Amino acid sequence: MQDPTIPQPSGQAFPPKNWLVESILVTLFCCLPFGIAGIIFASQVNTKWAANDVNGAMQASRDAAKWTKIGFFVGIGVIVLYFIAVFALGFGGLWMSSRSLNQ
Amino acid sequence: MRLKNTTQLIIVAIAVTILSLLYFFYPAAQYSFYPRCIFHSLTGLDCPGCGSQRAASALLHGRLLTAINYNLLFVVVLPIVVAAAFVFCWNIFSHKKLQQRLLYQPLFVKTLLWVVLLFWVLRNVPVAPFTWLKA
Repeated sequence: MQDPTIPQPSGQAFPPKNWLVESILVTLFCCLPFGIAGIIFASQVNTKWAANDVNGAMQASRDAAKWTKIGFFVGIGVIVLYFIAVFALGFGGLWMSSRSLNQ
Repeated sequence: MRLKNTTQLIIVAIAVTILSLLYFFYPAAQYSFYPRCIFHSLTGLDCPGCGSQRAASALLHGRLLTAINYNLLFVVVLPIVVAAAFVFCWNIFSHKKLQQRLLYQPLFVKTLLWVVLLFWVLRNVPVAPFTWLKA
Protein backbone atom coordinates (compact mmCIF):
# COMPACT_ATOMS: atom_id res chain seq x y z
CA MET A 1 0.00 0.00 0.00
CA GLN A 2 1.50 3.34 -1.06
CA ASP A 3 1.44 6.40 1.12
CA PRO A 4 -1.28 8.57 -0.48
CA THR A 5 0.67 11.74 0.39
CA ILE A 6 3.50 10.68 -1.96
CA PRO A 7 2.78 11.98 -5.48
CA GLN A 8 1.94 9.14 -7.80
CA PRO A 9 4.42 8.17 -10.54
CA SER A 10 4.06 10.01 -13.84
CA GLY A 11 1.97 12.57 -11.95
CA GLN A 12 -1.32 11.09 -13.11
CA ALA A 13 -4.33 12.77 -11.58
CA PHE A 14 -7.00 10.78 -13.39
CA PRO A 15 -7.52 7.02 -13.55
CA PRO A 16 -6.73 5.39 -16.93
CA LYS A 17 -9.66 4.85 -19.27
CA ASN A 18 -11.69 1.89 -18.02
CA TRP A 19 -13.64 1.19 -21.26
CA LEU A 20 -16.81 0.57 -19.25
CA VAL A 21 -19.31 2.15 -21.64
CA GLU A 22 -17.69 0.47 -24.63
CA SER A 23 -17.79 -2.93 -22.88
CA ILE A 24 -21.47 -2.46 -22.01
CA LEU A 25 -22.27 -1.65 -25.64
CA VAL A 26 -20.34 -4.70 -26.84
CA THR A 27 -22.23 -6.86 -24.32
CA LEU A 28 -25.60 -5.53 -25.45
CA PHE A 29 -25.08 -5.39 -29.22
CA CYS A 30 -22.53 -8.05 -30.06
CA CYS A 31 -23.94 -10.76 -27.80
CA LEU A 32 -20.51 -11.97 -26.82
CA PRO A 33 -18.76 -12.85 -23.58
CA PHE A 34 -15.94 -10.47 -24.55
CA GLY A 35 -18.06 -7.55 -23.35
CA ILE A 36 -18.36 -9.18 -19.94
CA ALA A 37 -14.57 -9.70 -19.85
CA GLY A 38 -14.29 -5.96 -20.63
CA ILE A 39 -16.59 -5.09 -17.71
CA ILE A 40 -14.51 -7.30 -15.38
CA PHE A 41 -11.32 -5.44 -16.38
CA ALA A 42 -13.13 -2.08 -16.11
CA SER A 43 -13.96 -3.04 -12.54
CA GLN A 44 -10.28 -3.88 -11.92
CA VAL A 45 -9.17 -0.48 -13.28
CA ASN A 46 -11.32 1.23 -10.67
CA THR A 47 -10.43 -1.05 -7.77
CA LYS A 48 -6.69 -0.88 -8.46
CA TRP A 49 -6.76 2.88 -8.98
CA ALA A 50 -8.64 3.31 -5.69
CA ALA A 51 -5.93 1.18 -4.01
CA ASN A 52 -3.19 3.47 -5.46
CA ASP A 53 -1.94 0.63 -7.69
CA VAL A 54 -1.24 2.84 -10.71
CA ASN A 55 0.60 0.20 -12.76
CA GLY A 56 -2.06 -2.41 -12.05
CA ALA A 57 -4.76 0.02 -13.11
CA MET A 58 -2.89 0.80 -16.35
CA GLN A 59 -2.51 -2.91 -17.09
CA ALA A 60 -6.21 -3.53 -16.38
CA SER A 61 -7.02 -0.59 -18.66
CA ARG A 62 -4.98 -2.15 -21.49
CA ASP A 63 -6.71 -5.52 -20.94
CA ALA A 64 -10.14 -3.86 -20.92
CA ALA A 65 -9.27 -2.09 -24.19
CA LYS A 66 -8.05 -5.36 -25.71
CA TRP A 67 -11.15 -7.42 -24.87
CA THR A 68 -13.57 -4.65 -25.76
CA LYS A 69 -11.91 -4.23 -29.17
CA ILE A 70 -11.79 -8.01 -29.77
CA GLY A 71 -15.50 -8.17 -28.90
CA PHE A 72 -16.29 -5.25 -31.18
CA PHE A 73 -14.43 -6.59 -34.21
CA VAL A 74 -15.59 -10.18 -33.72
CA GLY A 75 -19.13 -8.79 -33.49
CA ILE A 76 -18.68 -6.81 -36.72
CA GLY A 77 -17.11 -9.87 -38.37
CA VAL A 78 -20.01 -12.10 -37.36
CA ILE A 79 -22.54 -9.56 -38.69
CA VAL A 80 -20.67 -9.36 -42.01
CA LEU A 81 -20.48 -13.17 -42.24
CA TYR A 82 -24.18 -13.33 -41.41
CA PHE A 83 -25.07 -11.02 -44.29
CA ILE A 84 -22.75 -12.87 -46.67
CA ALA A 85 -24.46 -16.14 -45.68
CA VAL A 86 -27.93 -14.62 -46.10
CA PHE A 87 -27.09 -13.21 -49.52
CA ALA A 88 -25.40 -16.43 -50.63
CA LEU A 89 -28.40 -18.51 -49.56
CA GLY A 90 -30.81 -15.95 -51.00
CA PHE A 91 -29.12 -15.86 -54.40
CA GLY A 92 -28.54 -19.60 -54.26
CA GLY A 93 -32.25 -20.12 -53.67
CA LEU A 94 -33.15 -17.73 -56.47
CA TRP A 95 -30.80 -19.50 -58.85
CA MET A 96 -32.18 -22.91 -57.90
CA SER A 97 -35.78 -21.79 -58.33
CA SER A 98 -35.04 -20.18 -61.70
CA ARG A 99 -33.34 -23.37 -62.82
CA SER A 100 -36.26 -25.53 -61.77
CA LEU A 101 -38.61 -23.17 -63.52
CA ASN A 102 -36.63 -23.44 -66.74
CA GLN A 103 -36.55 -27.20 -66.69
CA MET B 1 -5.72 14.11 -28.57
CA ARG B 2 -8.46 16.61 -29.21
CA LEU B 3 -8.34 16.01 -32.96
CA LYS B 4 -8.50 12.26 -32.36
CA ASN B 5 -11.51 12.67 -30.07
CA THR B 6 -13.26 14.92 -32.60
CA THR B 7 -12.70 12.35 -35.36
CA GLN B 8 -14.06 9.62 -33.11
CA LEU B 9 -17.07 11.76 -32.28
CA ILE B 10 -17.85 12.40 -35.97
CA ILE B 11 -17.59 8.68 -36.85
CA VAL B 12 -19.77 7.66 -33.89
CA ALA B 13 -22.32 10.42 -34.63
CA ILE B 14 -22.64 9.30 -38.28
CA ALA B 15 -22.97 5.64 -37.25
CA VAL B 16 -25.60 6.43 -34.60
CA THR B 17 -27.60 8.57 -37.06
CA ILE B 18 -27.59 5.89 -39.79
CA LEU B 19 -28.51 3.13 -37.32
CA SER B 20 -31.27 5.26 -35.75
CA LEU B 21 -32.82 5.93 -39.16
CA LEU B 22 -32.53 2.22 -40.04
CA TYR B 23 -34.16 1.05 -36.79
CA PHE B 24 -36.80 3.79 -37.02
CA PHE B 25 -37.98 3.06 -40.57
CA TYR B 26 -37.35 -0.70 -40.46
CA PRO B 27 -38.29 -1.81 -36.90
CA ALA B 28 -36.37 -4.94 -35.90
CA ALA B 29 -39.58 -6.64 -34.70
CA GLN B 30 -41.06 -6.55 -38.22
CA TYR B 31 -38.06 -7.02 -40.50
CA SER B 32 -36.06 -10.21 -40.47
CA PHE B 33 -32.89 -9.06 -42.24
CA TYR B 34 -31.21 -7.96 -38.98
CA PRO B 35 -28.42 -10.17 -37.63
CA ARG B 36 -29.54 -12.64 -34.99
CA CYS B 37 -27.81 -13.42 -31.73
CA ILE B 38 -25.46 -16.42 -32.16
CA PHE B 39 -25.93 -17.46 -28.54
CA HIS B 40 -29.71 -17.49 -28.99
CA SER B 41 -29.49 -19.34 -32.33
CA LEU B 42 -27.25 -22.03 -30.84
CA THR B 43 -28.83 -22.52 -27.41
CA GLY B 44 -32.36 -21.15 -27.69
CA LEU B 45 -31.60 -19.15 -24.54
CA ASP B 46 -31.49 -15.36 -24.27
CA CYS B 47 -28.18 -13.53 -23.75
CA PRO B 48 -28.08 -10.18 -21.88
CA GLY B 49 -28.24 -8.35 -25.22
CA CYS B 50 -31.08 -10.31 -26.84
CA GLY B 51 -33.95 -8.03 -27.80
CA SER B 52 -31.86 -4.84 -27.79
CA GLN B 53 -32.38 -4.24 -31.54
CA ARG B 54 -36.17 -4.52 -31.08
CA ALA B 55 -35.94 -2.40 -27.91
CA ALA B 56 -34.00 0.30 -29.80
CA SER B 57 -36.64 0.34 -32.57
CA ALA B 58 -39.43 0.62 -29.97
CA LEU B 59 -37.65 3.44 -28.11
CA LEU B 60 -37.19 5.40 -31.36
CA HIS B 61 -40.97 5.26 -31.73
CA GLY B 62 -41.40 6.41 -28.11
CA ARG B 63 -42.77 3.07 -26.89
CA LEU B 64 -40.94 2.77 -23.59
CA LEU B 65 -42.95 -0.14 -22.17
CA THR B 66 -42.52 -2.19 -25.35
CA ALA B 67 -38.77 -1.51 -25.18
CA ILE B 68 -38.65 -2.61 -21.53
CA ASN B 69 -40.53 -5.75 -22.51
CA TYR B 70 -37.87 -6.61 -25.12
CA ASN B 71 -34.82 -5.83 -23.00
CA LEU B 72 -35.02 -4.22 -19.57
CA LEU B 73 -31.24 -4.01 -19.21
CA PHE B 74 -30.88 -2.03 -22.45
CA VAL B 75 -33.38 0.59 -21.28
CA VAL B 76 -31.77 0.83 -17.82
CA VAL B 77 -28.23 1.13 -19.18
CA LEU B 78 -29.03 3.59 -22.00
CA PRO B 79 -29.13 6.72 -19.75
CA ILE B 80 -25.62 5.84 -18.48
CA VAL B 81 -24.34 5.58 -22.06
CA VAL B 82 -26.04 8.86 -23.03
CA ALA B 83 -24.55 10.62 -19.98
CA ALA B 84 -21.07 9.27 -20.83
CA ALA B 85 -21.45 10.45 -24.43
CA PHE B 86 -22.49 13.89 -23.17
CA VAL B 87 -19.39 14.19 -20.93
CA PHE B 88 -17.21 13.02 -23.86
CA CYS B 89 -18.64 15.76 -26.13
CA TRP B 90 -18.44 18.36 -23.37
CA ASN B 91 -14.74 17.61 -22.81
CA ILE B 92 -13.97 18.11 -26.50
CA PHE B 93 -15.57 21.53 -26.73
CA SER B 94 -15.06 22.97 -23.23
CA HIS B 95 -11.89 23.93 -21.39
CA LYS B 96 -13.42 23.01 -18.05
CA LYS B 97 -13.07 19.23 -18.12
CA LEU B 98 -15.68 17.01 -16.51
CA GLN B 99 -14.74 13.69 -14.93
CA GLN B 100 -16.90 10.59 -15.30
CA ARG B 101 -17.08 10.02 -11.55
CA LEU B 102 -19.80 7.37 -11.50
CA LEU B 103 -18.09 5.20 -14.14
CA TYR B 104 -14.92 5.15 -12.05
CA GLN B 105 -16.56 4.08 -8.77
CA PRO B 106 -15.38 0.54 -7.97
CA LEU B 107 -18.73 -0.33 -6.39
CA PHE B 108 -20.73 0.92 -9.39
CA VAL B 109 -18.90 -1.27 -11.91
CA LYS B 110 -19.07 -4.33 -9.64
CA THR B 111 -22.80 -3.82 -9.16
CA LEU B 112 -23.27 -3.43 -12.91
CA LEU B 113 -21.36 -6.64 -13.59
CA TRP B 114 -23.59 -8.58 -11.18
CA VAL B 115 -26.70 -6.96 -12.63
CA VAL B 116 -25.69 -8.11 -16.15
CA LEU B 117 -24.94 -11.67 -14.99
CA LEU B 118 -28.11 -11.88 -12.87
CA PHE B 119 -30.20 -10.54 -15.76
CA TRP B 120 -28.67 -13.17 -18.06
CA VAL B 121 -29.68 -15.99 -15.67
CA LEU B 122 -33.07 -14.68 -14.58
CA ARG B 123 -34.41 -13.94 -18.06
CA ASN B 124 -33.95 -17.61 -18.91
CA VAL B 125 -35.90 -18.89 -15.91
CA PRO B 126 -39.15 -20.22 -17.41
CA VAL B 127 -41.31 -19.33 -14.38
CA ALA B 128 -43.94 -16.59 -14.13
CA PRO B 129 -42.30 -13.34 -12.93
CA PHE B 130 -39.06 -13.96 -14.86
CA THR B 131 -40.67 -14.79 -18.20
CA TRP B 132 -41.43 -11.07 -18.38
CA LEU B 133 -37.69 -10.45 -18.77
CA LYS B 134 -37.51 -12.60 -21.90
CA ALA B 135 -36.67 -10.86 -25.18
